[in-house]
Amino acid sequence: MASNKKYWVGLEELHGTPGFQEASKNEFAPDSVSVDEFLGEGNLGESSTNRRDFLKFLGFGVTAATIAACETPVIKSIPYVNKPESITPGVPTYYASTFFDGTDYGSILVKTREGRPIFIKGNKKHGLNKGSLTARMNSSVLSLYDGTRLKAPVAEGKETTWAEIDKSITSELTTVSGNGKTIALLTGTIISPSTRQAINAFVLKYGEGNVKVIAYDAVSAYGIRKGNELSFGKAMIPDYNFAKAKTIVSISADFMNSWLLNTQYLPDYLKNRNPDADWMSKHFQFESTLSLTGSNADHRAAILPSQEGAVALALYNEVAKKLGASAYNVSTDGLPIEAITKAAESLYANRGAALVIAGCNDPNLQVVVNALNSLLDSYGNTISNNAETFVKQGNDTDVLALVSDMNAGKIGALIVYGVNPAYSLPNAEGFAEGLAKVGTTISFSSWADETASRCKFICPDNHYLESWNDYYPKTGHYALAQPTIGKLYDTRQAQDSILTWSGIESSYHEYIKGVWQKYATSMGSESLLFDDLWNNALRNGALSVNESTIVFEALINAENVQSAASILAAGGASSDGYEVVLYTKVGIGDGTHATNPWLQELPDPISKITWDNYIAMNPADAEQFGFNLHYGQELPASMARITVGDKSVELPVIAQPGQKRGSVSIALGYGRGANGENIGRAAFRTKNYGGYELDSTGNRIPIGKNVYPMVEVKDGVMIYHNHGAAIEAIGATFPIAATQTHHTLMGRDSVLRETTLAVFKSSPRSVYNPQHLLAIHEGGEIVKKDVNEIDIWNAHPVEGVGHRWGMSIDLTTCIGCGACITSCHSENNVPVVGKDEVRRGRDMHWLRIDRYYSSEQNMEKAEKEGTGVITAYREMEVPEYDNPSTVHMPMMCQHCNHAPCETVCPVAATTHSNEGLNQMTYNRCIGTRYCANNCPYKVRRFNWFNYKAYGKFGEVNPAQDEMARMVLNPDVTVRARGVMEKCSMCVQRIQGGKLAAKIKGEPVSDGNIITACAEACPTEAITFGDLNDVKSKVRTHADNDRSYHALDEVGAKPNVSYKVKVRNV
Amino acid sequence: MHKEAAIRQPLILGNKSYHDITVDVISPIENKAPRAWYVLITITGLISLWGLGCITYLISTGIGVWGLNKTVGWAWDITNFVWWVGIGHAGTLISAVLLLFRQKWRMAINRSAEAMTIFAVMMAALFPGIHMGRIWVAYWVLPLPNTFGSLWVNFNSPLLWDVFAISTYFTVSLVFWYIGLIPDFATIRDRMTNPLTKKIYGLLSFGWSGRAKHWTRFEEVSLVLAGLATPLVFSVHSIVSMDFATSVIPGWHTTIFPPYFVSGAVFSGFAMVLTLLLIMRKVMKLENYITIKHIEYMNIVIIVTGSIVGVAYLTELFISWYSGVEYESYAFINRFSGPYAWSYWIMMTCNVISPQLFWFKKIRTNLTATFILSIVVNIGMWFERFVIIVTSLHRDYVPSSWSMFYPTWVDIGIFLGTIGIFFTLFLLFARFFPVLALNELKTILKVSGEKYKKEDH
Repeated sequence: MASNKKYWVGLEELHGTPGFQEASKNEFAPDSVSVDEFLGEGNLGESSTNRRDFLKFLGFGVTAATIAACETPVIKSIPYVNKPESITPGVPTYYASTFFDGTDYGSILVKTREGRPIFIKGNKKHGLNKGSLTARMNSSVLSLYDGTRLKAPVAEGKETTWAEIDKSITSELTTVSGNGKTIALLTGTIISPSTRQAINAFVLKYGEGNVKVIAYDAVSAYGIRKGNELSFGKAMIPDYNFAKAKTIVSISADFMNSWLLNTQYLPDYLKNRNPDADWMSKHFQFESTLSLTGSNADHRAAILPSQEGAVALALYNEVAKKLGASAYNVSTDGLPIEAITKAAESLYANRGAALVIAGCNDPNLQVVVNALNSLLDSYGNTISNNAETFVKQGNDTDVLALVSDMNAGKIGALIVYGVNPAYSLPNAEGFAEGLAKVGTTISFSSWADETASRCKFICPDNHYLESWNDYYPKTGHYALAQPTIGKLYDTRQAQDSILTWSGIESSYHEYIKGVWQKYATSMGSESLLFDDLWNNALRNGALSVNESTIVFEALINAENVQSAASILAAGGASSDGYEVVLYTKVGIGDGTHATNPWLQELPDPISKITWDNYIAMNPADAEQFGFNLHYGQELPASMARITVGDKSVELPVIAQPGQKRGSVSIALGYGRGANGENIGRAAFRTKNYGGYELDSTGNRIPIGKNVYPMVEVKDGVMIYHNHGAAIEAIGATFPIAATQTHHTLMGRDSVLRETTLAVFKSSPRSVYNPQHLLAIHEGGEIVKKDVNEIDIWNAHPVEGVGHRWGMSIDLTTCIGCGACITSCHSENNVPVVGKDEVRRGRDMHWLRIDRYYSSEQNMEKAEKEGTGVITAYREMEVPEYDNPSTVHMPMMCQHCNHAPCETVCPVAATTHSNEGLNQMTYNRCIGTRYCANNCPYKVRRFNWFNYKAYGKFGEVNPAQDEMARMVLNPDVTVRARGVMEKCSMCVQRIQGGKLAAKIKGEPVSDGNIITACAEACPTEAITFGDLNDVKSKVRTHADNDRSYHALDEVGAKPNVSYKVKVRNV
Repeated sequence: MHKEAAIRQPLILGNKSYHDITVDVISPIENKAPRAWYVLITITGLISLWGLGCITYLISTGIGVWGLNKTVGWAWDITNFVWWVGIGHAGTLISAVLLLFRQKWRMAINRSAEAMTIFAVMMAALFPGIHMGRIWVAYWVLPLPNTFGSLWVNFNSPLLWDVFAISTYFTVSLVFWYIGLIPDFATIRDRMTNPLTKKIYGLLSFGWSGRAKHWTRFEEVSLVLAGLATPLVFSVHSIVSMDFATSVIPGWHTTIFPPYFVSGAVFSGFAMVLTLLLIMRKVMKLENYITIKHIEYMNIVIIVTGSIVGVAYLTELFISWYSGVEYESYAFINRFSGPYAWSYWIMMTCNVISPQLFWFKKIRTNLTATFILSIVVNIGMWFERFVIIVTSLHRDYVPSSWSMFYPTWVDIGIFLGTIGIFFTLFLLFARFFPVLALNELKTILKVSGEKYKKEDH
């Protein structure tokens, strides 16, 4: 009964009166009060508001205003008007790029969030480093936001504009070239073809005869190039193939840390360190200082730096003897004969798959090593002779000649690019004096550093994350770097500056494209379109092509070997005094990264000391001097003065097991900014309650001392050790901040297990990885039961229920490099706390790497010899002085299924997720620290202070810097004071990965979610995944016979498992 | 009426009459305080202020002002907490347990011992509060209905048990103490001439009139409260000990802890009572009430509890070896031979050896010796907690994390501050409160003889 009844408003509408029709045209009724009238003041006088009402209104008004004023300050976030295509708020974007700073090279992926680069990881799919990177590389994202970088070009100490500085520079350069004086371009190693081309254009512009381009490396490998020149007639560095090497003998080459193309060597080396595989490579290390590489060697022998030549010769002779070749004369007095014999045997057995390398810059040593490699048939096998490595092109002779030319007034203009010679040259003083005599001095430095502050013009370069570039690190490998953020300051890429001064107007980006276009065919462009090649290379970050060229003929110049051998055999005998090894640390490298607080706080992989350099001395030697043997919170190190020639510095002495007696080691790269240069906030010593320590002249005191002046210059080659050092105690002490102050394992093999390859291969699991059995009463009898079967809990089932995130860490492949630590810092906004807090045992690292030395004493030995248990324990605390074996053990929250921390929290702030994670709810935490006390692994970290605001951390914590704060990961809370924090297994990534899978509508697949540490690990020692996914990698690892849970008998049932370390001895 | 055996020495000496007792106890409240009182309270007040300043600094800056680190998460804070709780035990034991056992000698000492308990528990309760990283959310440990979602406390956590144990203990002790004070307040009220003080004591005495009915109720309530307080004597420190005993840390994870802690608590509590009373009886001239006999009895309790503690120490050592657990045995080897061996041996000397001196009657009846030893015992008991907490934590399972603990001036300042506050409170108590349970004392006055009956009592 539907009906369309019409309803009307009134009779007027029904009848359609003319009045109604008229009125319906107006929106508002004609007699309604108009706005003007309503707001008009006419009626105000008639207002009935009386005095009392007025007071009420006043009171209300004041209260309302007061309450409104209490509102928290509004921080405006401005939304995009047009959303950029590639940016979705909350979703990271990754850009492939390339890192190269003269020390490290690698293809990287840069994670950006809302346009800000915040995290760097290795590019696992492309590039010769196969995803491996160093702590220095992933920490470099922080230096982008360094607020102390120059913000505009500087001419004669004053900020200026690019137009003006270009004008004055080009006119000065033209004048210099017109006067026939030399324009010197002092650069770091340039492996960028386009940069080289740009420099060529510059050379052409100012006259080929007038411009000299000199490559300089703060830590050079000139001796290696020179040695190869002597051997093969070509100054080059060949491509080492560690993947093929079954025996590796390294004489002081720290190839895991910084030697040549370390990021390429590491993954290759680690490929053959799998005990489950058919064979495992054997690694011998002969060195003076206990290096990262040495600490991972199967056999390590401590030698003096001056013995390196003799060791190489002795090795040669041993191998030659087996091969029936002629030997060279050398005295083997004082050499580690046993290790040499073993190494030679192994080399001989694996000839064709053997590799001998030497880190020393002595060309003669390199010649002998080359001869040995030749003898072992390494060329063409483990050393490629059709590929060349282009890193470390520094020519020490040229650099030193330049310094004398500058002092002789022959140089009219000096352009310094990417290096800091006024700091890092052995004769930096001479350089500085010479610099004053050069009329036009230009620096591209991002800071007014030691060199730049002495230059007339500073044209600050972009940070590499703001720059375009291309790279050609070795034959057949091309790579591109692209900007991931707009320029933060008014800086300009150095190449752009060079192009501008050369009169080329195109941008460097276009210029690179042009260069690539030219070589597109030689790059093996399969596509007809260059754009495809370019876009592909840009997306991947790197491009490998097959360039089969013979770089050199592997024919040894025997004459040179003979003369090198006789020089080595004759020399080497050290004079009186100590020999000094100058090495680069894993953290700040050659000093470039001295201002990076993440790297300053990264504990040295061996000494575990942060924020300092020091004299590392064998404990036996230190004992003789009466130096303090232990360092700790209130155990400062003794200070000593070390004098080499006319150079002397005062540094704390650390008793370092494994350091060769009669030698000491000091790290390069410290003592930056000694003249008060503004090179960054974290490079200087800070006071216990904040603020910098100042010297008598009011300058900030740098951290550590610069020991570059102690570098020995021999025949125009810089040699990074010296001899004849005098060491004297000066009676003072110096506080040392170390993250670990107890150095031995105390025989606790349920914490860390290791075995040898022979035992592993020939024995059942119970020998090298026994289950923990507990004796219990059952049916009136004593039964031995696996600890995992005993439980007083009614546990929730975890096996096969949903996800169970877990981790497996292979102690065989972990080398302790620390890349995971800085990666975790970066991903999880871990606060930097500075030296004083680290000294107090309050470092905040969520992930640490425990390092243990072997001790001469152990319980079995003590029992046999009848040593009392107290004495035995005391002796077990002392590491072996001369050559301890070393282990590295990454330790983070074990995410126990029966977590001791969870039960004790009074407010349930730390709980177990149904995915196996031990989660920390910061909001709920009241800070009783009971959980940290009850953690058997001691991985919980407490926010002792308000790190993001408290004055003590103003100079060190990036979160306290307006700019540096931008590096913080927006997915992770910055924790408040008074709460506990710890490894979350990157729960933000897990959630992100699950979400991505959900959107796709498929289950999470193995490998799609990865923690920051696992991602950073250059050796893939850390595997993360779902233990309930039976096919996952992590499950396979966890089910492996080598797998064990640390402290299994405590019964915490961790989700992190370790794999027994296997040494190939 | 009370009957005193002829042979026994009377509990109150000096031929006191009822009136004498009243005068002796109340005169310090009525008269102007001696100069020494002002001097003392100035000193303790200054120390308290210093402590409060340190606490303010701690709360405003962060727990980092203490010397704790990633390995040693508790040190002086919880040491002080356990120490003060332990001291508190003597008061309850004396007033409740000895009441149930009808030990009349308790009457001369129970009032001040209970006061000491209250103040000590206050000092103790301070530490779990200020040791929190975020004290401003300390109320989250209470199972309160809230709007944070369905957040509830974790009933598995021994720290939560502590909250209940300490708060219950404090409440019961306070009520018990106060009930006992009511008749005495009434006596003071009756003697006061100043209308204001009369009014105040009048309010405090809850209209006590001394009727037989009041006394019956008083006795009944006392008995009920004693019954309630007695299990608390044992439960509180048992629960405190479970903070450690239920953990997994070698040296903490020990089933012997509850009885061991309780006897340790009584041990230290009696020592502290002695320290206080020996001064008080001298200054306030209470020698006739707190007699050598009292002191001797307390010293005997110290021998007994001290010996229990000593046995516990040795048992721990034995079990650590017998268990065959390397961590357990190392924890104890480290205690007596490691970097903190000095504190272990201080503990052993003070707690095990020194109380054995009280086997000699000469020593246990000698006031000076008792006073010195009472302080020695308290030092020893502080170190016992320090040894348990710090030496267990500083070297536990993973050697890489082994570290040392060094106190800062704030650690020390706050500890001294609590001692200052404690003594300030005690001095105020001695000045304004009846330090002896005077009405109860009158019940044990020896009156069965004409000579005790004086005209005006």
